[in-house]
Amino acid sequence: MNRLPTPIFILLGLALGAGLGLAVGWVFWPTEFTDANPAVLDDGYRRDYVQLIADSYALDSNLAAAQQRIGDLGEDGPQYVLAVLIDMILRQEDETAIRRLARLANDIGQYTPAMAPYLAAPEAAP
Amino acid sequence: MTPPPRRPRRPLPFWRRLSATGWLLLSLVIGLGGGLYYAWVVDPVVFTDASPARFSDRYREEYIILVSQSYAVNQNWPLAEQRLAALEDPNIAETVNNLLETAVRQQRPAPLLEQLAIVARQLGAQGQAIALFAPTLPATTVQPTPTPAIVTTPTNTPPPAATATNTAVPTLTPTATTPATATPQPNYRLTEQTRLCGDDEAISRIEVVVLDAFLNDSPGIEVEVTWQNGRDRFFTGFKPENGRGYADFEMSPDVSYTVRLPDGSPEVSGLRIDECANGLSGGWRLTFQNLREGSPTPPEEDE
Repeated sequence: MNRLPTPIFILLGLALGAGLGLAVGWVFWPTEFTDANPAVLDDGYRRDYVQLIADSYALDSNLAAAQQRIGDLGEDGPQYVLAVLIDMILRQEDETAIRRLARLANDIGQYTPAMAPYLAAPEAAP
Repeated sequence: MTPPPRRPRRPLPFWRRLSATGWLLLSLVIGLGGGLYYAWVVDPVVFTDASPARFSDRYREEYIILVSQSYAVNQNWPLAEQRLAALEDPNIAETVNNLLETAVRQQRPAPLLEQLAIVARQLGAQGQAIALFAPTLPATTVQPTPTPAIVTTPTNTPPPAATATNTAVPTLTPTATTPATATPQPNYRLTEQTRLCGDDEAISRIEVVVLDAFLNDSPGIEVEVTWQNGRDRFFTGFKPENGRGYADFEMSPDVSYTVRLPDGSPEVSGLRIDECANGLSGGWRLTFQNLREGSPTPPEEDE
C-alpha cells in the first residue's frame, strides 16, 4: 500500500461526504428556526397579523405603533395591508373588520377608491 | 573492510502510508464537513411559511398584546383562543400572566394591563396582577349607587266592599320608571375592604388608601364620607407617615357611614363601629385603585 491512492477514491469520498452533509443539514437536521418575525409568516397568518394591527389601531389610535408593526411585515408592509384590504372587500368579509382595516390603510397613506365606502361613517340602523 | 553505516530509514509521508480505504474515509469526512457548513451556514434552509409558534420572544409578546387588544375590540373569545393556540405554547395561560406581570413592572399603560389581565383570566390564570387589573369582585361588596330618579305614581286601591275589614290603606305601586341610561364607568374601583381590629386597643376609624393604576399611593384624592344628616370631605396624603395615599375618618358609635371618592368610585355603605372577635371595637380599611392611566390632578391647595 505504498502507492498513492487514486484520485477516484478522493473524489468519491468528497462527493459522498458532501452529499451526506447536505442531506443532514437541509433535510434531517436543518437549522432550528425559532426567531421568526411577521415578515416570514405563512400568508394566512400574515393576513391575520394585519387584522390584529388594525384592531389594535382601532383601540388605541397609536399610528406610530401601527406603522412600526406594519414595518415588521417587511418592506412591502403598507402595500400588503392594502392588498389584504382589497381582498377582504372583494370577498365581502365582515364589514366592521374591513372598516378598521380601511381606516388603518388610509392613515398610513394607502388608498384605493374601493375603500371609500368603508371610510364613511356607518349608516344608522333604522 | 567494514560496510558503510546504514543510514536510518526516513519514515514515509502519511499520504504514502494511507490505504485507498483511508483516503476514501478521509475525503468522506472532509466532504461531510463541507456539506454541513454549506447547509447550515452558507445557505441554510429559509422558512417563509412560518407560524406564530416560530416567533422570537419579542414578537411572541407583541403577538399576545395584539391578540388581547383585538379581543378588547371584537369580544370574540373563540377567535382570540384560536390565535393564541397558533403559538403552540402548552402553558399559554402562564405565559400571558408572566407577560402581564412584566408589563406591570414596566409601568405600561393601564388599558394594556387591563386587556392582558382579562385574557389571562379568560385562560384560567391566577395571580395578583390579574386580581388587580381584571378582578371579579363579589357583587355584595360594593353597594350600587342609589338612583333616586325612579318615578312612582300612587294609585289608590279601591276600598273593598263594606264587608271588608279596615285594610283600605292606599298602596304605592311603582308604575313608571325612567328609561335606563348608561352608567358612567367609575374612575376607581374598590380592591379591598377589610375589618380593622387591634390586638389591645379599640379602633373606631375608617382608613382609606387610594392607589393609582400602577399601585402607587395617590395623594390629594378627595374622599367623601356621608351619614344620616351629615357629610365630611377630606384628602389623602395629610398623614404621610401612613403613606401618601392614606386618609382616615373617626366614626361615632351607632352611626352608619358611606364612603366614596367624588372623582368616581363605587359607594361603600353600611360602615359602622363593630365588635371584633376579641371583643374590642373595630373599624374599616378600604383600598381604591384608579382604573385610568396616570393619576388625577390633585386639588388646589386653597380648596
